[in-house]
Amino acid sequence: MANHDLVVTAPPHIKGKDMVSTGMRDVAIALIPLIVMSLVFFRLYALVNLVAAVATALACEYVMRKLMGREPTLGDYSAVVTGLLLALVLPPTVPFWWVMIGVIIAVAIVKELMGGLGVNLFNPALFGFVSLIIISRVFGPIKLGYSLGGINGVTSATPLTFIKGGVLSGLRPGYWNLFLAHGGGALGEVSVLAVLVGAAYLLYKGHITWHIPASIIGTVFVLSAILGENPLYMILAGGVMLGSFFMATDWVTSPDTKLGQVIYGILIGVLIVVIRLYAAPTGAVAYSILIGNAVTPLLNRVLAIKRFGAVKSVT
Amino acid sequence: MELKTFRGGIHPPYQKEATAANWTEDISLPAEVVIPMQQHVGAPNSPTVNVGDRVDAGQKIGSSEAFISAPVHASVSGTVKAIEGRSNFTGAQVQSVVIEVDPSQPPKWAEKKDTGSLSAEQIRDVAKEAGLVGLGGAAFPTFVKLSPPADKRIDTVIINGCECEPFLTCDHRLMLERADDLIGGLKLMMRAVGADKGIIGVEANKMDAADALTAKLGGDSSIEVVPLEVKYPEGAEKMLIDAVTGRRVPPGKLPSEVGVLVQNVQTAVALHDAASTGKPVIDRVITVTGRGIKEPKNVLVKVGTPISHVIDQCGGFAGTPGKVIMGGPMTGWAQKDLSAAVVKGTSGILVLGKDEVDYGAERQCVGCDKCIDACPMFLMPNFIVKYTKRGKYDEANRFGAQDCFECGCCAYVCPSRISHVAYVRKAKAELAAAEKK
Repeated sequence: MANHDLVVTAPPHIKGKDMVSTGMRDVAIALIPLIVMSLVFFRLYALVNLVAAVATALACEYVMRKLMGREPTLGDYSAVVTGLLLALVLPPTVPFWWVMIGVIIAVAIVKELMGGLGVNLFNPALFGFVSLIIISRVFGPIKLGYSLGGINGVTSATPLTFIKGGVLSGLRPGYWNLFLAHGGGALGEVSVLAVLVGAAYLLYKGHITWHIPASIIGTVFVLSAILGENPLYMILAGGVMLGSFFMATDWVTSPDTKLGQVIYGILIGVLIVVIRLYAAPTGAVAYSILIGNAVTPLLNRVLAIKRFGAVKSVT
Repeated sequence: MELKTFRGGIHPPYQKEATAANWTEDISLPAEVVIPMQQHVGAPNSPTVNVGDRVDAGQKIGSSEAFISAPVHASVSGTVKAIEGRSNFTGAQVQSVVIEVDPSQPPKWAEKKDTGSLSAEQIRDVAKEAGLVGLGGAAFPTFVKLSPPADKRIDTVIINGCECEPFLTCDHRLMLERADDLIGGLKLMMRAVGADKGIIGVEANKMDAADALTAKLGGDSSIEVVPLEVKYPEGAEKMLIDAVTGRRVPPGKLPSEVGVLVQNVQTAVALHDAASTGKPVIDRVITVTGRGIKEPKNVLVKVGTPISHVIDQCGGFAGTPGKVIMGGPMTGWAQKDLSAAVVKGTSGILVLGKDEVDYGAERQCVGCDKCIDACPMFLMPNFIVKYTKRGKYDEANRFGAQDCFECGCCAYVCPSRISHVAYVRKAKAELAAAEKK
């Protein structure tokens, strides 16, 4: 019989539909409600920053992989997601070139220099964001302003301002505002509902599970209540929702076991409350998740899953 | 009613429609058959015939003194043409008896005798003499499984009628076409191990078979047909026992540990054939299917028939084949050519088209954890791969390399297209080599 040039590989010989590219694409799709809401509120400001971030991320990844002699991976949507997320955690008043610096840090250093997607220890977008906060503190001139007032009267103060102090408590936005739509803070904080719609899509697609977001949000809620804060306000205001569903659940930088994910979520939740109440509210979610990222390898090492039929877990 | 099942697993497209509804067909005999001396788990046989000998269908042509082994028989009447090494379906060289097939084959094993009086010991002898092995693919000698250690009491025999591998329908057809022999075989197994309870586990996509079996059983309360959720690998031994009885076999242990014996549908049918007619395992039903086959169907094939002959008998290839797989798509063996012979453990021949075998290149693990969620053994396949890549096999084993039975769920769900099974095999081989030192 004629030689048919048959493919010989190890089983299985059929594969599921999910690829890294489809997973990342789904994350980008899940962000659409939030992007739309931010465009409605901040218009051109949001558009410019989002476009600048995504374009920079793509260009940066392409150049870095070329320089490092690696296969191009532009088609996997990972750069798109990093760009979108970074633009979303920044307020609309941030100039676009400043967003671009953050993206370059995120993609070039945190992702590609660490070895590419999969090897990076930290969530690239959050690391880029925190780098910007630190740089802005060191180099005074650039204010990463969460200014009162603002763009065309649309923007109001970040709701986080009202967590501490309480002098302004009469001015703080209501729960329904925060949940449905509110123009304070970062692009991605305009609407909790939009975040939840996207999150529901990711849960439905099986790309994330409830373990991480539920443990973060639950911990923030309970701990705030214990410490005498308004728990509902704490979870609705700022980046808790966006961070819990879209950042802390990052495939690469979150723990691999369900128990590890719950511990990681609780740790992040505790850190969010502590940092918000006793340090600075701005960036509390980002700092907390990055610390969680740093603990992830340890959680993966020490937590073993109880094997099928085993009496206790083997490590 | 919620169907019984296990935790983990996957839902691949089942693609059984092409062959599930059609009666099993006979195919013509090939010009020669190639009978490997090893078709089972255990010690290989030595040939008991010489080149030039005339052999009769059913005549024993290879045997071994070892406990864990199963003899092989001539599947046709003919003349021994050669005794030499031939590549088997895994690509390994195995000593094989090549028989030139006689043009006329006298009919045999037509007469059925009652099996009701056979003792446990006699049933084990029948299984041993017939060269019976697990026909679901594992090919473990059946009489060994029918001889559990004295300190283990078996109370339940489970027939695996799940056929959870996509594409395959040969067990489904046997449950429909040979329900009486299947039930007869199960009763023999129950008697051999002294079990009071028999269960036939059938995935819910084969309710016609489940209903047919229930009808045949009538009022027999010792045997129960249990429908199971359609999920891969429902038919894996440990998963099936868990789903049906709720008992979990501990790591590294056998089903006898929890008082259960599991056998495949075709094994039960073959045991009944051997006991009632004396016919050894010389043929079996296999599913020939896939987009690359012109006429997909279930066929009764003589052991030793080359793949190329079976494919010819099913109309040949449709288009250019990309992959020819011996067995199912999840655990089968990809063939480099079509010379390997059908053996006792062959459940199917699957031909995938050229466009179905481009899976995309393997890339770095992105830590999505989908492999961990899919693993029915609760292992951590991503870490097994990570440490195997680094040559740290003990670490790989810490995450479960040796507990893995290679169902392939992890590799199926992997978005990075990592071939976990290949890494697990490497880790197992290295661990076994290290143990020998």
